[in-house]
Amino acid sequence: MQKSTCAGATIFLGKSQHSTTVWQFCSQSSVSGCRTCVAIAGADYCLAAATTRLSTGLNILSRDANFVEKISNHCVILSAGCQADAKALQKHMRARHVMYQHQHNKPMTCQAVAQLLSNTMYYKRFFPYYTETLCAGLDKDGSGLVYSYDAMGSAGVSGYACRGTGESLIQPVLDNQLMAASPLVLPVQPSVSHLPLERALDILKDAFTSAGERDILTGDAVEILILTKEGTRTERMELKKD
Amino acid sequence: MKLAKPLHGTTTLAFIFKKGIIVAADSRATMGSYISSQTVHKILEINNRLLATIAGAACDCQYWGRYLGMQCRLYELDNGKRITVRAASKILSDVCFQYKGMGLSMGMMLAGWDEETGPALYYMDTDAQRSSGKVFSCGSGSLYAYSVLDDGYKWDLEVDEALELARRSIYQATYRDAASGGTVSAYLITPDGWKKMLGSDVGDLHYEYNPTQADLPLE
Amino acid sequence: MDFLMGMCCKDFVVVCADTNAQMSQILTIKHDEDKIVPIDSHKVMALAGQPGDRSQFSEFIIANVRLYALRNSRRLSTHAVANFTRNELATSLRKKPYNANMLIAGYDESCGPSLYWMDYLATLHKTNVAGMGYGSYFALSLFDRYAKVDMEEKEAVALMARGVQEVISRITVAPSDYVIKVVDKNGTRTVETISPGHVAK
Repeated sequence: MQKSTCAGATIFLGKSQHSTTVWQFCSQSSVSGCRTCVAIAGADYCLAAATTRLSTGLNILSRDANFVEKISNHCVILSAGCQADAKALQKHMRARHVMYQHQHNKPMTCQAVAQLLSNTMYYKRFFPYYTETLCAGLDKDGSGLVYSYDAMGSAGVSGYACRGTGESLIQPVLDNQLMAASPLVLPVQPSVSHLPLERALDILKDAFTSAGERDILTGDAVEILILTKEGTRTERMELKKD
Repeated sequence: MKLAKPLHGTTTLAFIFKKGIIVAADSRATMGSYISSQTVHKILEINNRLLATIAGAACDCQYWGRYLGMQCRLYELDNGKRITVRAASKILSDVCFQYKGMGLSMGMMLAGWDEETGPALYYMDTDAQRSSGKVFSCGSGSLYAYSVLDDGYKWDLEVDEALELARRSIYQATYRDAASGGTVSAYLITPDGWKKMLGSDVGDLHYEYNPTQADLPLE
Repeated sequence: MDFLMGMCCKDFVVVCADTNAQMSQILTIKHDEDKIVPIDSHKVMALAGQPGDRSQFSEFIIANVRLYALRNSRRLSTHAVANFTRNELATSLRKKPYNANMLIAGYDESCGPSLYWMDYLATLHKTNVAGMGYGSYFALSLFDRYAKVDMEEKEAVALMARGVQEVISRITVAPSDYVIKVVDKNGTRTVETISPGHVAK
């Protein structure tokens, strides 16, 4: 059994020497990929945002790369980490969604996409997709949903989440502005703080701007998808280019 | 980059007493020293009679917990009756044995009320160890929880006493174990199934247990 | 720190094992785990080693021995069970080894009581006194000193209990609870449990 340790976290891998070598390569932060993505759920919207910088170590490869995969009108997948794995995962999920539509003549619900994503990622438990993934979307009533995953597909549902190198910078800001009572407490208290869309958008933009100031891998621009019952629109916010 | 959420940093416990079974857990997930979540559901509701507590890698526990739920439902459809806790724990234990040495990481307790034989509690882990018993605790905080739990455990506890014992045990574990924290959840299992009885934020609980400076533990 | 001991006298075999289940080196999660499992009415298997391998292997062996009895309307002798077990352990040794050491004790109509010792490398040895684990160092010499072939059952059990007391008093990581079982012409029965008393068993 091989064992590789990276960035303080330890992971056990299967027997394949090849998979271990590739994996050790992929786990280096120098591998090209998206660096920061964020999703925020609201009562009647969902925000999904990712930086557009593609970098390999300190080397910037692109300032206008796309890391948000729109699965349907009410579901998107965002991935931080190795771009190759992220694209493979997103393309796979897209294909599965097309197949589902052919079979069932309706789009998958966001909850179903989230569950399928978890199983898909766990399928590669012993040679994982090197991605930290978010699944953001709307339920049938049009209120927001955010699911977050680790590399092997453990899922958690939450009102907001951040993944990537900016996580330790952005997550505390989101906690400060958005955290409500734990969904586990009894008697039950509202566990999601629903901000108006404009307010949430402001916080999101401020968070990215701040992260861009302190994280060398976050910059260039942020692509923001705003999902509502009425449809999806995309905003782009420029960040510093340095 | 953080890879998998380890839930080694965890405190879970379960015990059988006169009035039923108590199952309790904290809710923190950590990646190294970073708290990746304070709202993890560490007590999986396998079906409306069975509960599982999880410790270890979150992905393994979630996936195989889901698999177990599926197998239990299939058993019901095949046999027209509910699966026993004993059989359900054996399904998971056999999975653990199959994958032994491959790096899965789980420490689980399975609790439920069987139709014929009454309350049942099993501990199993990825070494394929599987034991039935009355009192179990699992995770990095389990050593702290055990001593408080053993101290207060009696067979003929009342339900509210038992719940308080579970809550106090988890709280004491979160106090000493940095990897445990968040919210204490506690469930009660009776012949009618399980019911969530408690959900207390540890932050509030600390001041409930220690209202004044004089109440604080000796440092 | 598993402890197994066995003693084969003229008309019976005494087998002793600790009953502690450990989660790690420092945590005992159970005090009444029976490590002496029945194979049939007149045979037992006492196991030490990794808990998962222990139960999986013993369940496999027991199921196959029972299957043989059903198919052939004839029970395997203790000798046959020991050699069957050895063969299964040796076969899996080069594929997916089971980390399980064991004692097999039984009583046969034809040849009386017998005791077999086997380690995880599938070394099989028929003997009258056998032990596993650190505790066996203490118990073995005590048996060498006092054990006789024609002992009464009472004497043998008392000697086994003395061995256990020595283990408890001399080993720093000694298990706390033990069970002693006897196999003779009447079958298998538990004759003594040694336990300091616990909060929750």
